[in-house]
Amino acid sequence: MSSTLHRERLEDVAFRAGYAAVLAFLLLPLVVVVVTSFSKAGRIAFPPESYSLVWYGEFLQSARWIGAFVNSLVVGVGTALLATLLGVLGAFGQELEADAGGDGIVGAVLVPIVLLPLLVPPVILGITLLLYFNEVGLRGSYTSIVLAHTLWATPLVYFVMRSVFSRFDWQQLDAAHDLGAGPVRSFVHVVLPNVKHGIFVGGLLAFIISLQEFVMALFLSTPSTETIPVLAWTEIRQALDPMVSVVSTFLIVISVAAIALAALVTNLEWVSRQLS
Amino acid sequence: MSEITLDGLEKRYGETTAVEDVSVEIEDGELLCLLGPSGSGKSTTLRMIAGLETPTNGSIAIGDEDVTDLPAYERTTSTVFQDWALFPHMTVLENVAFGLKMGGVSKDERRDRAREMLERVQMAAHADEDPTTLSGGQKQRVALARSLAVNPDVLLLDEPLSNLDKRLREDMQIELREIHEDLEKTFVHVTHDQDEAFTLADRIGIMNDGELIQVGDPDEVYERPENRFIEGFLGDTNFVDASVTAATADGVRVDTELDAELVVTAADGTTPDLETGTDLTLSLRPEILSIHGVDEERADDAGVRDARVAADGGTRNAVTGTVENVVYRGSTVRYSVSVGNSSMFAERTDASTGALSAGDDVRLEWDGDDVLAFRDDGDRVMP
Amino acid sequence: MTGANSQTLPTALASLQERLVGESASRRALLLMAPLIAFELLVFVIPFATLLRISVAAPSSEAVYAEGTWSLEAYSEVFGDLLAGDLLLGIVGYSFLIGTVVTVLTVVIALFYAYAIRRSSGLVKSLLLFSVVLPLLTTLVIRTYAFTPLLSPTGTINELLLSAGLLSEPIQFVPNTVGAVVGQVYIVLPYAVLAIYSVLATMDWDVVEAARDLGASRPRAVVEVVLPQAMPGIIVASVISFAWSVGAYAAPGLLSDDLTFAIYVEQLILGDLRYPTAAALSVVTMGLMLAGIGIIFAVLDRFGGEFDLA
Repeated sequence: MSSTLHRERLEDVAFRAGYAAVLAFLLLPLVVVVVTSFSKAGRIAFPPESYSLVWYGEFLQSARWIGAFVNSLVVGVGTALLATLLGVLGAFGQELEADAGGDGIVGAVLVPIVLLPLLVPPVILGITLLLYFNEVGLRGSYTSIVLAHTLWATPLVYFVMRSVFSRFDWQQLDAAHDLGAGPVRSFVHVVLPNVKHGIFVGGLLAFIISLQEFVMALFLSTPSTETIPVLAWTEIRQALDPMVSVVSTFLIVISVAAIALAALVTNLEWVSRQLS
Repeated sequence: MSEITLDGLEKRYGETTAVEDVSVEIEDGELLCLLGPSGSGKSTTLRMIAGLETPTNGSIAIGDEDVTDLPAYERTTSTVFQDWALFPHMTVLENVAFGLKMGGVSKDERRDRAREMLERVQMAAHADEDPTTLSGGQKQRVALARSLAVNPDVLLLDEPLSNLDKRLREDMQIELREIHEDLEKTFVHVTHDQDEAFTLADRIGIMNDGELIQVGDPDEVYERPENRFIEGFLGDTNFVDASVTAATADGVRVDTELDAELVVTAADGTTPDLETGTDLTLSLRPEILSIHGVDEERADDAGVRDARVAADGGTRNAVTGTVENVVYRGSTVRYSVSVGNSSMFAERTDASTGALSAGDDVRLEWDGDDVLAFRDDGDRVMP
Repeated sequence: MTGANSQTLPTALASLQERLVGESASRRALLLMAPLIAFELLVFVIPFATLLRISVAAPSSEAVYAEGTWSLEAYSEVFGDLLAGDLLLGIVGYSFLIGTVVTVLTVVIALFYAYAIRRSSGLVKSLLLFSVVLPLLTTLVIRTYAFTPLLSPTGTINELLLSAGLLSEPIQFVPNTVGAVVGQVYIVLPYAVLAIYSVLATMDWDVVEAARDLGASRPRAVVEVVLPQAMPGIIVASVISFAWSVGAYAAPGLLSDDLTFAIYVEQLILGDLRYPTAAALSVVTMGLMLAGIGIIFAVLDRFGGEFDLA
């Protein structure tokens, strides 16, 4: 009995050490990014020899980085909007169909087609879209990058929304129709308020996917539409200064702030509902 | 005028037919109960009246207007759903006011009318609450108020009481009945509970396997069920397999699995033309059976009874058997009795004298007029 | 009073709609799916048809490819190079090797970490989940690159190992294959953890208790009970790890000097302007990758079945 206990204690220690190691692995590069952004030297080293805010100043004066920042935001917001629209409507339609016991060809074919872009290596997608957008004259526009990113973001929004809709009580939609709300108004007044958190999460995912993605953007962007990862890629291959760390730190701070704000907003709403 | 006319209504999902050729006229101001087991198509029928399902065939008219192709939100019907389907993101008052909002009623007016409706169902005190925090009974009242608030011509109720406990359900049945009498609107109420149907209904429509088998007044449906399914569905009965041995002046003589030759008579004197050897199923409801312990009677008493059965032209029937078990069911006591190769049950109010216990020999008696007889295909032939 | 004359056209339309969207789906369902269908058609299906078309066009010395021509030259070139055991075989083979190694490492670590998250509670759980989500918020290029100061010969890890006396001279992790693998695992690990965790999160934990109650040791309980139930998540994690790692571009590009298929295709397009060859190589690699995914499904499904029986 005591040997079993002893063994289990050892297992416990090993288990904790194991996940602590993975935790360190996951966080270490981020620590490197944040810490090196405060480095004084022009070359990245970890830990830096001396600290300063000089590279933050450089960033704020760099038209190219600010431009890339704006480009990333434009493409990210565009992707989030388009992917959310497509994913929400598509998932809603599919759920309506499934709810009615449907088993049509469209439903059967749509799911794999929506999913497939996730499995295609981004280089192949990038090349394919580059060739295609050249033909249709979209090359170099924001639209081309947004469309490419939407191809990746839509499946995520779509599957988040499928799971959100599958938990929605469809009798509510019947009730809304029954009380005189047409298709649009019943969606706005009854479905939307119940799934808005899911839509928000889906949109956020789409935004993050777009912010991340750089292979397709590398192929599709021009200097005037280059996003942060594209510029970072170019810069890293030329100089090894801490500017990329500064940009990345900004992104981490903004993302964490956005998520915290979102959590706060949804929570405050919940709190106010409880109080009223 | 808001009578409802269903004509040849049919709903198919792929290979399966949920509703088949349902035709019925529901009168203005009537409360019709659609009664049937689950999967009998009664809810689908109701949903087609509401416009929530599109019929595969047939037509629906409310008043003089054909509404078959009208979507739910343009119909003058309103539905109370089984799970009530209250909107969880709205307060109770907002729920009740929703239909009015969709109807373009001004904010002040709809608040007043919603409050009025909540008062009617005694829920005014909960107006600002979150509906998810309410009890089942309270949710049911809110759902009712929400449906009534739009002042529908027809109120459709899709088993709204089935998720409530027994006491509450019985109270709500009486309240629903009162609201119906008050409003004088057409109600269609779907239920699988025959007590509920008998309590509420002006008329009952029995559904099974997607078909509307019989529509009639409650007593008509109970006393004169069209077929064996209805007889079995409406309360407990003893089904006894029988075979015709001879015709009598006002009925037939049958051989049964009870090891006794019995007589079935038609009180109105109409004797069906049944050939010898025709297989029948007899229904002997517990309330037509009288049960006596053999030891309770004097031997000659029994003899007199036998003689009377014979002399009476066979309207009186009797069999003897042994009590197998006794179940106390509150106001009545139920006895299972083995008779011949079969088993039957009979009931006594416990006020009646003489307690019987398992193992006692008993005599079951009934009047041949009270027995229903069904043919092989389920149709009632007698009386 | 809908007459019989109005019956035929709606009936025909209804039966077409039935075929397309299923028996009882409303026209509304199709309408709602229409934008998504149009999008996938215009931005995915048609572009890939274009890629396929280019892969069977003749190469050209004046343009990127000879428009309107039909030729299998690009495919014969790709297969010829592959069969000759040339440079190309090395590149494609290396891509699939990286894909396999990264997938195995990632899924094992992700399964362990997802299980740790599921088992933990309170602050620890929040921290662990946060550690998975946070890397997703950082730009892939930058966080991959952040391994350089850690892994380079003069980097933090080498210095630590040297000063601890565990090494006599620095190891070149980057630029090297080790760096590429570490970087790629880092890229896909958060997704794999989330995929497995989402399954574990909804799992009925009582069965683990029950297994323990029946005398299974803890690791045994995990293998017998947790693993089979987590299989859907493991399959998803394996498929995305494999697909993304075979086509890896950033990690090998930043952390190694190795040539992967993705980097090579980029060279063919942007450097050599050999469009048909690039298209044919893409098609062939995609085919191989989908076959690989098929094998993953088959293998893991069998494992799932075996565990189910045990």
